[in-house]
Amino acid sequence: MPTVDIDPDELRDLTGHDEKSDDDLIDDLFGLGLEFEGRTEDGEFELEFAPDRLDRLSVEGVARSMRYQYGDSRGVHVPSPNSPEWTIEVAESVPDERPYVTGAVVRDVDLDEEALESLIQLQEKLHATMGRKRAKGAIGIHDLTMLKGTAATEGNPTIQYVGVEPDEDRFVPLDSDQEMTPADVLEDHQTGQTYADLVSEYERYPAIYDSIGLFSFPPVINGRRTEVSTDSRDLFVEMTGTDQWTIDKMLNIVCYALSARGATLEEVRVDYPDREVVRPDLSMKTKTVAHDRIETILGIGLDPDEVIDLAERSGLEAEKAESEDGNLVYEVTIPPYRVDVLHPLDVIDDLGRAYGFNELEPRYPDIGTVGGRHERSRLERSVREQLVGHGFEDMLNFHMISEEENYERLDVSPDGDVYGAGEAATIKEPYSEDFTMLRTWVMPSLLMVLERNTHRSYPQNLAEIGFAAEVDESENTGVAESRRVGAVLAHHEAGYEDAKARLQALARNFDVALETPPTDHPTFISGRTAAVVIDGEEVGVIGEVHPKVLVEHDLEVPVSAFEFDLGALR
Amino acid sequence: MQLPAQQVAVLEAANADEALSVDALAAATELPPETVTGAVFELEDEGLVAVSERTDETVALTDEGRDYVDTGLPEVRLYEAALEAGADADPVSMGQVIGASGLEGGAVDIALSNYARKGYGAIEGGEITADSDADPDADAEANALEALADVDDAPVDGVDVDSETLESLERRGLLERTESTVREVTLTERAVTELMAGIETAETVGQVTPELLTSGEWEDVEFAEYNVEADAERFDGGKVHILRQTAERVKDTLVGMGFQEMDGPHVDADFWINDCLFMPQDHPARTHWDRFALERPTHIDDLPADLVDRVERAHREGVGEDGEGYHSPWDEDFARALALRGHTTSLSTRYLSGEEIGDLEPPQRYFSVEKVYRNDTLDPTHLLEFFQIEGWVMAEDLSVRDLMGTFEEFYSQFGIEDIRFKPHYNPYTEPSFELFGTHPTTGELVEIGNSGIFREEMLEPLGVECDVMAWGLALERLLMLMYGFEDIRDIHGTLCDLELLRDTEVTY
Repeated sequence: MPTVDIDPDELRDLTGHDEKSDDDLIDDLFGLGLEFEGRTEDGEFELEFAPDRLDRLSVEGVARSMRYQYGDSRGVHVPSPNSPEWTIEVAESVPDERPYVTGAVVRDVDLDEEALESLIQLQEKLHATMGRKRAKGAIGIHDLTMLKGTAATEGNPTIQYVGVEPDEDRFVPLDSDQEMTPADVLEDHQTGQTYADLVSEYERYPAIYDSIGLFSFPPVINGRRTEVSTDSRDLFVEMTGTDQWTIDKMLNIVCYALSARGATLEEVRVDYPDREVVRPDLSMKTKTVAHDRIETILGIGLDPDEVIDLAERSGLEAEKAESEDGNLVYEVTIPPYRVDVLHPLDVIDDLGRAYGFNELEPRYPDIGTVGGRHERSRLERSVREQLVGHGFEDMLNFHMISEEENYERLDVSPDGDVYGAGEAATIKEPYSEDFTMLRTWVMPSLLMVLERNTHRSYPQNLAEIGFAAEVDESENTGVAESRRVGAVLAHHEAGYEDAKARLQALARNFDVALETPPTDHPTFISGRTAAVVIDGEEVGVIGEVHPKVLVEHDLEVPVSAFEFDLGALR
Repeated sequence: MQLPAQQVAVLEAANADEALSVDALAAATELPPETVTGAVFELEDEGLVAVSERTDETVALTDEGRDYVDTGLPEVRLYEAALEAGADADPVSMGQVIGASGLEGGAVDIALSNYARKGYGAIEGGEITADSDADPDADAEANALEALADVDDAPVDGVDVDSETLESLERRGLLERTESTVREVTLTERAVTELMAGIETAETVGQVTPELLTSGEWEDVEFAEYNVEADAERFDGGKVHILRQTAERVKDTLVGMGFQEMDGPHVDADFWINDCLFMPQDHPARTHWDRFALERPTHIDDLPADLVDRVERAHREGVGEDGEGYHSPWDEDFARALALRGHTTSLSTRYLSGEEIGDLEPPQRYFSVEKVYRNDTLDPTHLLEFFQIEGWVMAEDLSVRDLMGTFEEFYSQFGIEDIRFKPHYNPYTEPSFELFGTHPTTGELVEIGNSGIFREEMLEPLGVECDVMAWGLALERLLMLMYGFEDIRDIHGTLCDLELLRDTEVTY
């Protein structure tokens, strides 16, 4: 899970609770669902967070939540931004893949080292989460004083979001002192290389201009000219992305964080070719939450006043109302920084957290149902019991295997039509070359266990009732999945008859007719191999394992073996 | 008359006039004394010998006693050193004498405590005097040690030492007495008669055979004795795999709690694995490297079209009047991509949708204990494939209290008490909880599962109109908690160690 680093001194400062010790803070943070993982080199708390409350990705947001938890804040607070001065003009040339932009001006920020560090972290964490590694939304923060807006109409400064040819223009990107084209950046700049995949397929690259020229190449990198430092007082925040809602919400989270540092927000006009919007959008949604549903989910009775109190302590605001069918409901106002409230149920979760879920008394539900095992699982258990009774050690092996283990080391070829060597369902990006496909039979796994345990005492009689799969176009998933009964007998006198005796016993146990007509199979010794035919259908193979296969597995004892489909014993 | 060979040998070695000990008979017959003892008892039962018992007392020097045979008693050495130092004339400093005597450690105390007792002189105020009349050569204890030096377990009345000296040596821990029972055997008259008539040796038999039983011969034979204490060759009977045993126990518990078992495909469409769970298509877990997508085959053939529509609508628009969807792309082709299931919740979505066994009416309880696949780092606590315990309860109006009560009941069956619920986030449940329990032996708080109430955005498209609460947990985690295993790779998979599997304690 993702983590966020929080300076405990900053937290004390921003919550106004100087008296809290580090341990107090750690406990209070756990209550918010932020788990203390350890400390960074600088002594900051490393906190693990669940990726729903993205408004808590910086110390400002965490402090806000804690103030609600402590009861220092109640209800919803919305900053009032000043009217727009700046405009972002969206050109027709903007790449179709990344059509959206949003922004805000932030004035009078007191950016000391800590505040700047926190802002950078917030930006990174938002990129990693909501921004989907910048693919869905990317943030650019600029020193406003370094921007020169083209005076378009009536003295309103304007910047342009446009699309440019990869080599059309040049700028000096961050962490560099050379002029580069966007194409150069993707080629030669470290950050450019990291994010090159996001735009390399685009015909035109996204770019932002002021009257001086190109100053940002979203979502890859900003220009050096507008770089933010601790001396910056006024900021221009812009975000581009593939979804307007997502970047607007990211913007709200950044605006709330800067506002908590005492900054003044100022709106920005976004002038699309076909419409104009004003951002940040700090409007609020309401959810209608039924009183009954709150009581049902939490399993307790609550007064309406209590519900309203819980809502306010969660940073929400609830008003009593009546639904169309006359039931008590609440109109709950959701603040603009919340991105996780999709449904009234999410409000109920907030109320439950404010109430304290661990305060609730567990109760065993009074619901009568009848339990039972799946037929396959009952069959599997019964066969396993018989096999253990026959002296087999029950095995449990991996379903993923390599081509080499599954086929070559047993001397079968993938295109062969012999039992076991079906066509493999293969994995696109395997963990390693040992796990590239699903095994098509269990025999390879059993031989691998024998190979691995040659230093252990014999006899080694192993059996596995295990999963196997092969490509089968007649199946909806394209894969035929089955359970196999596989067994190997490894000891100095192991022979065909030992294996056959046990197979016969199984057939008797499950009252099926067994025949073993001779067959050829490259894994087994010719003349000592038979097909397993149960109730007239060929379902497996039995034989003495070929010395070639034994030697391949470093075995120095004979091995006899069988494998067949579990379903044949039904 | 017929008797087993050992008994015949004992009879022939024994005498009607002279009682012979078992040891003597053993020497004469060249049989082990235990065998002779056994034979004697059987012969006594037959009335062929008379056995008398007496208790013999033997003495032997302890290791300390033997040391003094070589070095001399400490008090004697002290006396000799004192004489040397002229203590027979004037008192001499004790330190000087002890130094000269070469006595060290405990031996000094022993010398001092016996010195005056045996009249070698006096010790007073740190000075020592020696009695010039004392004679170490007449020291009874020293002489007794000499006399006993070469005998081992000598009968107490056979040694030339008076009983008083023996007692004082025993008190000093220089001598040990051992009591033993000696059996002496004499032939009875009947034995003499039988011997004159001639006694045949019966054969001993190694194995009970069908011939022996049917012929009745078994009545006359004697079975060769085994060393019944010796270890037999190692035998390893078959055993159900330890992880399987744990899975069975979980299944039994859940069946007992009214749960029905689910079954379904390991290779499944993302639709069933993720989309039906209201997991947005751009969720990091779906594009993330921890998923095993299939290279071949790539896509499922058919998905229920109306269900696909409903799921897509939930993703785009949300559910209910105030519902909101995700601001994420949704593409059916993406949903049809095949992967190894990353959780068995794909079975739950299949069952809840009615696709698997038809529509379900509440109340219902379902579970599975099946394999899931995650592209995680393979290490002592993580496998690429592991078993997930999945369970859900469908009923009208479920609360988080019902959820908590159900899990407390389940975990208490495995000795895990005091469950704690940490509010958590899952895309498909709300409220959601991580479950923490106290490790039964170490007392640590460990994460034991993830749970919650399925969201309406998940249930509504599936056609479920009541509440469903669910939870998941790795079976291996439960196993490691129960058994304290440290490396799961020794247990599960082809790297397993047979010895560990064979020797793991069975539980119930």
